Amino acid sequence: MASLSNSLIARGAEAEIYVADFLGIKVVVKKRVSKPYRNPIFNKMFIESRTRTEAKVLSELYLAGLPVPSVILVDEEGGVIVMEYVEGSRLSDILGTLPRETIIDISGSIGKYAALMHNMEIYHGDFTLANILFTRSSSIVIIDFGLAGYSTDIEEYAIDLHLMSRSIEALYPEFSEIFTKNMFEKYKEYSKIGGENVIRKVSEIRARGRYVDREVRKAILRERYIG
Amino acid sequence: MSTKMCFEIPVLVPSTKGSLVVFGVESTSHTFGVGIIEFQNNNVCVLANVSSQYKPERGGIHPSEASQHHVNVSNEVVKRALSEAGISISDIDVVAVAVGPGLGPCLRVGATLARFISAYWGKPLVPVNHAVAHIEIGKLVGNMRDPLIVYVSGGNTLIAVQKDKRYRVLGETLDIPLGNLLDTFTREIGIAPPYIVGGKHAIDICAEWSSEFTPLPYTVKGSDLSFSGLLTAALRIAREAGGDKTKLGRVCNSLRETAFNMLIEVVERSLMLTGKREILLVGGVASNTVLREKFETIARFYGVRYYGTPPEIAGDNGLMIAYTGLLQYLYGRIVKPEELVVKQRLRLDEEVYPWLL
Ligand SMILES: Nc1ncnc2c1ncn2[C@@H]1O[C@H](COP(=O)(O)OP(=O)(O)O)[C@@H](O)[C@H]1O
Ligand SMILES: [Mg+2]
Repeated sequence: MASLSNSLIARGAEAEIYVADFLGIKVVVKKRVSKPYRNPIFNKMFIESRTRTEAKVLSELYLAGLPVPSVILVDEEGGVIVMEYVEGSRLSDILGTLPRETIIDISGSIGKYAALMHNMEIYHGDFTLANILFTRSSSIVIIDFGLAGYSTDIEEYAIDLHLMSRSIEALYPEFSEIFTKNMFEKYKEYSKIGGENVIRKVSEIRARGRYVDREVRKAILRERYIG
Repeated sequence: MSTKMCFEIPVLVPSTKGSLVVFGVESTSHTFGVGIIEFQNNNVCVLANVSSQYKPERGGIHPSEASQHHVNVSNEVVKRALSEAGISISDIDVVAVAVGPGLGPCLRVGATLARFISAYWGKPLVPVNHAVAHIEIGKLVGNMRDPLIVYVSGGNTLIAVQKDKRYRVLGETLDIPLGNLLDTFTREIGIAPPYIVGGKHAIDICAEWSSEFTPLPYTVKGSDLSFSGLLTAALRIAREAGGDKTKLGRVCNSLRETAFNMLIEVVERSLMLTGKREILLVGGVASNTVLREKFETIARFYGVRYYGTPPEIAGDNGLMIAYTGLLQYLYGRIVKPEELVVKQRLRLDEEVYPWLL
């Protein structure tokens, strides 16, 4: 992979992103790196396991027709994935600059694709605006599947929706209500696994850090850190 | 922090002539504290910051015992604060009190005292959100305007930013808070309370018994965390260790390392999501030196500014209440003594604060 002549274009929370040329196609080389503030054992574990997960989930979703970059090569031990390059911007950077109708369309697409992904018993694990690219042709592409996984537990699906709706609330509060409402509606429309229940679970998760039921909350507060 | 230190206010407040003395009362949980500040020309000087802590002999905090402690020490703490500040109670211009979140009986001690001072000496009264106060004092002392906020204490573990005049939560624990994890674990294995000895948490003392590390359950969901699986696994291994000090040390070291690695990872994800250039670490657990070192490293790695509140203001204190009370007062957010209510479950993102970005 070192043979790909490449240049750094972005740095994510986990990886360095390079662009390169592969058989005449513009590709992205995503290299997961060790962190000086993380235990070396964790560094090795995460670089390998997250690379493996991401490559596996990406190819499965791509073959099922979901809007994700196609995987070309993977080096699990080296923590490297080569994938299709997507021309676009992170939604977290540009959502506020888009017309209202586009934002509503995007929220619907996100709800729809989340449902299709969950129908395959796959969750994303870091489903936020930073991991959705908005392309030149005004469509969305979902990236960054290192924290993804396979599960039939609707809690995992609900966490995805919760993460997305909270990232909008924090970054673009002015659109958060309409965005979340529309995302949930489309999610329910495309869900084949009881979208209603997933949405209900989202409110339950939101409540945890906040209105957690009286007894739990009491127990927690009683244990406050001394000092 | 020694008294008589002064700081320039990093948030926008209406310009005001003359000076103001604000008296702040903290009593939401284990600490009864009084802080006194003087405000003049957009600067705040610390006149006093005195507190007394309830330390349970067994188990965690018992709300009724804690509130009795607060009642018992209140007279002494107030007197000491006034004498340190070199003022008498009639010199106060504003009374501020933490009205939540916290334990009902404890909150009511502070609220009752503040109502009394306000009514008896005719001083304006302002309510303060305890979580907001932890953040505001960090912004003041660290001179930060728009940081990524990491608030870790016994009752809270969350990451927040300000947007449209509100704090917005970006990530939080899905179950137990970080401080609670450390307290519960050390108590269950029989090495606490006391939780803090000589400025060190029991987990740090125990972690020194070994330098070995075993990875433990690590659960990160986007910017959210879950510590319950980690706690259960660590307790199981600790039980198997019996009384073996080295083995226990290994569990303590691994639990702390795993929990801190998880926190740093969600901080990293939040940094990437928001693009903030400053990190502010506040709350009781911000006193932990091992955690502070990790924050220094991540800040250096990303080239962002970092500030962690020092122990004197990281834990609960009256100073942060006085300062946040000043901000409330400058924006006219005064209540009548009979209108002051405590809210055990007051949320960080519940209210608009006019001084926020
Ligand atoms: N296939 C791709 N095409 C174009 N840009 C990409 C692609 N994958 C990632 N990027 C860019 O790199 C950044 C980080 O990638 P991401 O997969 O989210 O890594 P991390 O796990 O480090 O967050 C993205 O925000 C995006 O800007
Ligand atoms: Mg990413």
